[in-house]
Amino acid sequence: MVYIKCTDVVAKVSDILDGEAGRLTRMRFYGHVMMCRNCRRYLAQFKRIKELAGKVTPDDLPPDFDQVMNFVIREIDKPDG
Amino acid sequence: MPVERVGQQETEKARLGALKSGSAVAWRELLACYGPRLLRYATRMVGARATAEEILQDSLVTVYRTIARFDGRCSLKSWLYRAVHNRAIDELRRRKRYVDVGDDPERDYFNAAGHWQHECPGWDGMAAKRLDDKRLLIQVRDQLDRLPHSHREILLMKEVDGLDPADICAALEITPGNFRLRLHRARAALRAAVVRE
Ligand SMILES: [Zn+2]
Repeated sequence: MVYIKCTDVVAKVSDILDGEAGRLTRMRFYGHVMMCRNCRRYLAQFKRIKELAGKVTPDDLPPDFDQVMNFVIREIDKPDG
Repeated sequence: MPVERVGQQETEKARLGALKSGSAVAWRELLACYGPRLLRYATRMVGARATAEEILQDSLVTVYRTIARFDGRCSLKSWLYRAVHNRAIDELRRRKRYVDVGDDPERDYFNAAGHWQHECPGWDGMAAKRLDDKRLLIQVRDQLDRLPHSHREILLMKEVDGLDPADICAALEITPGNFRLRLHRARAALRAAVVRE
């Protein structure tokens, strides 16, 4: 198997996690990660933070949100547009 | 094309027709559906709720006035995001607050041979499991709000709002290849910012 460097691993993490990498790339990637403690650590951090970014809940809507929407609706309801 | 996708396209076509004909019901539905998430997007981009509200109002009114020009080559959702996004970026640039990609946070990680020159900074896999989810989530959210705007926009659309890559490409007017590259850099920047904390 062709050896890949740590920089290659770091560059490929997103493709791996998003299922965008081919089989050969995945094999090389995980082959390296098994042997390299630093890349293993990097992968664990990257994966965890990516998961948590998906759990960032949107802020609550402002109490005056209806006013914001009503402004737009008034604007679009004007006969002249 | 899958039946489901054809169905979605038909629904979108019908919706677009109603919007173009000025149907108040269709416009109200559209605003109810996308207004909240567009406001949240604008708020996270500009940081101030009041400014975000202005941006949302302006861009939605613009969308309404220019809907006739919308050709349906991208989704309505991506068109709305594009309008809000462009207006937010204009506002940030006008106030000289727009931050483009900063330095590469990983530039000192590797030696000339392409290997780690020091330990990978931050917690290891075992420690990560023990880290308190809530505390880490707060850190991720705080750091997300501080990232350069060019990183933030792509993470907000992809990870927070869960938009499809095709919609993000259309909203940001970028190619799929550029999207993959930018998404990865943005995630790497977020990782670096969180572990630096
Ligand atoms: Zn390595």
